[in-house]
Amino acid sequence: MSVLTAVGERGLATWRAVRRSIFRVGWPRTDKDRAAAMISSVVLHVHPAKVQRHSLRASYTLGLGLISFYLFGVLIVTGVVLMLYYTPHPPDAYRSMKDLQFVVTFGLVLRNMHRWAAHAMVFVVFLHMCRVFFTGGYKGPRQFNWVVGVGLLLLTLGLSFTGYLLPWDQLAFWAITVGSNIAGYAPWLGAEVKYLLLGGNVIGAGALLRFYVLHCIILPLLAIMLVAVHFYRVRKDGLSAPPLPEPPPVEEMVAGRFPPSTRSYGLMALTDRPAQPVVEAEPDDEVLAWPHLLYRELLLLLVVLVVLHAVALLFNAPLEEIADPTRTPNPAKAPWYFLGLQELVSYSAFVGGVLVPTLMVLVLVLIPYLDPAPRGVGVWFAPERSWANRVFAALASVTILVTLVGMFFRGPNWAWVWPWTQ
Amino acid sequence: MNDSRAGRGQDRNRDVDETRRRLLFSTGVTTVVLGAVGFLGATARFLSPNVLYEPPSRAPIGSPDEFPPGTVTFLPDHRLFLFNNPAGFYAISSVCTHLGCNVRHLAGEGFACPCHGSLFDANGQVIHGPAPQPLSWFALSLSPRGELVVDTRQIVQPEYRFRV
Amino acid sequence: MRTPQRAAVGFHLAFAVLGVVFLAIFSWVFLKEYLTEWRTTQAQFDQLQRRVKDPHALSLAAPLGDIRQVWLPDVDRVDRCTTCHLGIDDPAFATAMEPYTTHPGTWLQTHAPDRFGCTICHGGQGEATDFRNAAHRPIPNWSDPMRPPELMEANCGTCHRERRPSQTFWLERGREVIANAGCIACHDVPGFALDDLRAPRLESVGYKVRPDWLRKWLADPKGYLLQARMPNFRLEAAEIEGLTAFLLAQRETAPLDSAGIDWSKADPDRGRTVFGEARCVTCHTIEGRGGTMGPELTTVGSKVGRDWLFGFIKDPAHDQPGTLMLRYRFTDEQIRDVVAYLTEELVDVETPKTPPEVRYVDPKLVESGRQTFVRHGCYSCHRFTGMMALGKIGPSLVGIGDRAIEPTDFKIEAVVPTRSNWLFLKLREPDRLADESRMPTYGFSETDAAAAVVALLSIRRADLPASRVTDQPRLARYEPQGAFGALVARYRCLSCHQVRGWGGELSTVPFDRIGSQLQHSYLVSYLQLPSAVRVSLEERMPQFHMTREEAETLADYFADVFVDDSLGGDIQLDAEAARRGEQLFQTLGCRGCHIVGRTGGYVGPDLSDSGRRLKPGWIEAWLSEPGKWKPGTLQPNYGLKPEEARALTAYLMTLSTDRSGRKP
Repeated sequence: MSVLTAVGERGLATWRAVRRSIFRVGWPRTDKDRAAAMISSVVLHVHPAKVQRHSLRASYTLGLGLISFYLFGVLIVTGVVLMLYYTPHPPDAYRSMKDLQFVVTFGLVLRNMHRWAAHAMVFVVFLHMCRVFFTGGYKGPRQFNWVVGVGLLLLTLGLSFTGYLLPWDQLAFWAITVGSNIAGYAPWLGAEVKYLLLGGNVIGAGALLRFYVLHCIILPLLAIMLVAVHFYRVRKDGLSAPPLPEPPPVEEMVAGRFPPSTRSYGLMALTDRPAQPVVEAEPDDEVLAWPHLLYRELLLLLVVLVVLHAVALLFNAPLEEIADPTRTPNPAKAPWYFLGLQELVSYSAFVGGVLVPTLMVLVLVLIPYLDPAPRGVGVWFAPERSWANRVFAALASVTILVTLVGMFFRGPNWAWVWPWTQ
Repeated sequence: MNDSRAGRGQDRNRDVDETRRRLLFSTGVTTVVLGAVGFLGATARFLSPNVLYEPPSRAPIGSPDEFPPGTVTFLPDHRLFLFNNPAGFYAISSVCTHLGCNVRHLAGEGFACPCHGSLFDANGQVIHGPAPQPLSWFALSLSPRGELVVDTRQIVQPEYRFRV
Repeated sequence: MRTPQRAAVGFHLAFAVLGVVFLAIFSWVFLKEYLTEWRTTQAQFDQLQRRVKDPHALSLAAPLGDIRQVWLPDVDRVDRCTTCHLGIDDPAFATAMEPYTTHPGTWLQTHAPDRFGCTICHGGQGEATDFRNAAHRPIPNWSDPMRPPELMEANCGTCHRERRPSQTFWLERGREVIANAGCIACHDVPGFALDDLRAPRLESVGYKVRPDWLRKWLADPKGYLLQARMPNFRLEAAEIEGLTAFLLAQRETAPLDSAGIDWSKADPDRGRTVFGEARCVTCHTIEGRGGTMGPELTTVGSKVGRDWLFGFIKDPAHDQPGTLMLRYRFTDEQIRDVVAYLTEELVDVETPKTPPEVRYVDPKLVESGRQTFVRHGCYSCHRFTGMMALGKIGPSLVGIGDRAIEPTDFKIEAVVPTRSNWLFLKLREPDRLADESRMPTYGFSETDAAAAVVALLSIRRADLPASRVTDQPRLARYEPQGAFGALVARYRCLSCHQVRGWGGELSTVPFDRIGSQLQHSYLVSYLQLPSAVRVSLEERMPQFHMTREEAETLADYFADVFVDDSLGGDIQLDAEAARRGEQLFQTLGCRGCHIVGRTGGYVGPDLSDSGRRLKPGWIEAWLSEPGKWKPGTLQPNYGLKPEEARALTAYLMTLSTDRSGRKP
């Protein structure tokens, strides 16, 4: 009996040792442990140990950045499993889509989730950008993060665009035809870029393979790298810019060039070491990340998953007939996020295909440097930034409007139709 | 006196509150864990294909006239040797039971595998080498159109002969 | 005040609720997957097969719970129909309900499921595993729904490309309609060649037709002749005028000279006799009676000029080099009489006897007529010299069976926008589908149009491997040369007879072995004066007024060239054998179908003259195995022993109607 207890105790001790080697801090019960848990885990240490209270307000950020990150995660997971059945060569590509729909267990719901998550991500990323603008979150020190964000926006559009071709149906083929032709309008480089993109002059096996590699490897890798930079900057510059009363006087700055109220705090905030940084300045504004931040993130994840599953179960992703280069559907529409451009292109190829997109990207990238004054940060539609907000809102509305026109009000031959008559 | 009673009430409230917290939290954790397990199970099931794009195990191999009496023919698409013997037809798999290479037929003697040197006798029994099992014999039948049909899922004994 | 580091209870509540909701939705994923239609169908089948099959058969049956598919890489199809149609090749389910019932008929014996799948014949989306997506009825985004039974022969035709596939009604008829209508003139139609076209050459039509007739014809060909092959081009009056002017200006080859003919001496009654002897009605119809190889002659007198008709009968190939009509050996007086008969008796009573005179031909009108001629593609069918390089005016019909039809292709909204409906409308009323269609109105009956639709639907885009396709062998042209060839060309034997499959189908006697079948002397006399061998047939070989030398040349050639060595050889024909043969003749009851002497049946040929007509080697071979020489013949195969066949041959060779010989 004592041998058994000895063995049992030994086993238990070994088990605990193994557990402790993996999870350095067990389930935290004290505040110190809660803070330690955040920084000792590779997964969790993207979060600070403590966060400012205001950044937890859902009404402030609407969690849009987090939602887009979750969507990206869903896309990666569903994308990888879908890759096991997809063949990136026409016409087997179409056949593999049919197989996913009909014979692969859970294939239909996974494909639906992938598609709807992709569409949602483009939309959410756009909303996130609007939110950051309207709350002045691009002001110093977050200027470069905004630029990284623009890069991520472009990568999101690129990922969605490259993925759009993969089903190899009429919708995919002609959408990419329109899209790649819009790209081809760029002066000097356009034709060459189009040639490289398609691996030739026509959309065929070469184009499909290139789009596949772009969609599965190149663009995701770039996106992951930029996401890492984006998160790092968010972490270091403080999660969500707080409302700035006024720029503080220079002598109050401690620990670097940044005013104390924007700093995030690590474990050091709670130690008893004599030389500690200013902590008591505004203690009530901070709470521990565990559980407040993490719990909110978990709930948001659940909400996103529930909505995605419901949508994936209720609505099937479209799959039209197999791509037929000889038969153009009428109308042939680009993916919805490029329909605004297609609408403009229908008036002028240069304006819609080259001028407007270039200007849009240029202006977006330069926004933080055009408007560096640190006013109106941390609140929605701050009155100090009214003209900036109005201009941006107008441009965003026009973008949305033109996209909606392209989606619903254009019929055969790109003629105007009232959607309720269709 | 009132304080202690109030204190006790507060304690009870705190206990109820604590239980409720624990209950709700565990519910949430359980569902998430179940969901995660379910997801892993679903992924595992997803990974197993339900249909195969492979040649069917039952396939016609040709008309009996294409295999003259006394000959042995190697059919690379089906990976088997078809013998036409005075006693009838029979089919022996050419897939070595060691690691799957195609064995070679040695006229009159049996089969030899070029990969690791396994030797089989004329009936497919292992004489020598690392092969653990004898070569399989497949069942033959006749299709309604008069073609020989081999079924690689039906294994028969070496005494099997198929008479047309 | 220290901030509480514990989450509010509300969060825990939200967590629990969301978790449960998430789990519920997640389970829905599983439910949706495991309650799919095909699983339910298979479960029901399992119950059914337990009721229908005995335990032993049940143990041999394939296990359920899987998706079943037939993969045909050579035609790039995957058919999963058998996932639900589980009893399709099992006779035990012949009376079960759908989808378990056995396939009707013997189709699966000739089209094994593992080699053909299902969608090759039925259409539909084979990749699908539920009823709706399998396209049992049309669904969006799938252009090949299951064909209804009346259209299914179109799928037969995708692989069976011969002109007359067996066991098909609509497909065979449709292909015949397409061949007769001459679609190949304006469209590229796979499986049809320009040889099928039958339209007269127009390079000299200015000499031929009367202007008033031409106008009426151009306005409505079927108004003149109900079986006219030429469709109605819906021409406007100005176009008709222009075309008439253009066509009347076509005077390339003048007709043969009839200047020396004294028409006052023409005798229509004698002409009618000549006409009857020449058996013109074998090929021409008069008032509904006669053949259809040539044009109808009921009102030919109002159509063509007298001099032209003279020249044509004298030598048809002079005006129409590719004509099927032969050149009789008439005298000029005979032709004169026939022409008189035709132009005076076979006329349209409403037409004035003398054609109106044409004084002035406006060159601008001729030019506009020429443009009309080109625009409507007349040169394609009529093979007008110099214009053939212009090409076909209609779109290619390659892949028409797969052509996508948009609802906007229909101008009429009441019609369901399917491919077959579009083709049907296009064939029946081309002008209703598109404003400027140049396709003429053929006046197809509904049956003919439907048949043509089926035939057109069989023309698919995808290439099939050769192992899947059956087709009739291409016939080599047969154009004999030399003296024999000149006679064959003059008398147009190949308009009715065939050599090696090449030729006309009016006669049931191909020439391939005729030298071994018929005696030389009989052939010589027959060619000069054909007599009825089969009394029940209406069509007889006409009398060509051939000279004896010509008949001998032909018979010599037959005897030298069109022989079958296996039918030769000496056969001992003695009286003993003949007597035995006669007894056999009685026992077998041959007189039931054959006439010998004065009595007998009308089904087979008259055998009274067999001794002078047939060759013994042929008789013996024929009697031994009739089906080998003429598949589908009514002559029974009695399973005769060789000596029996020889006895019958000996007997038949004694039969002769020669006045000097014995009468049977």
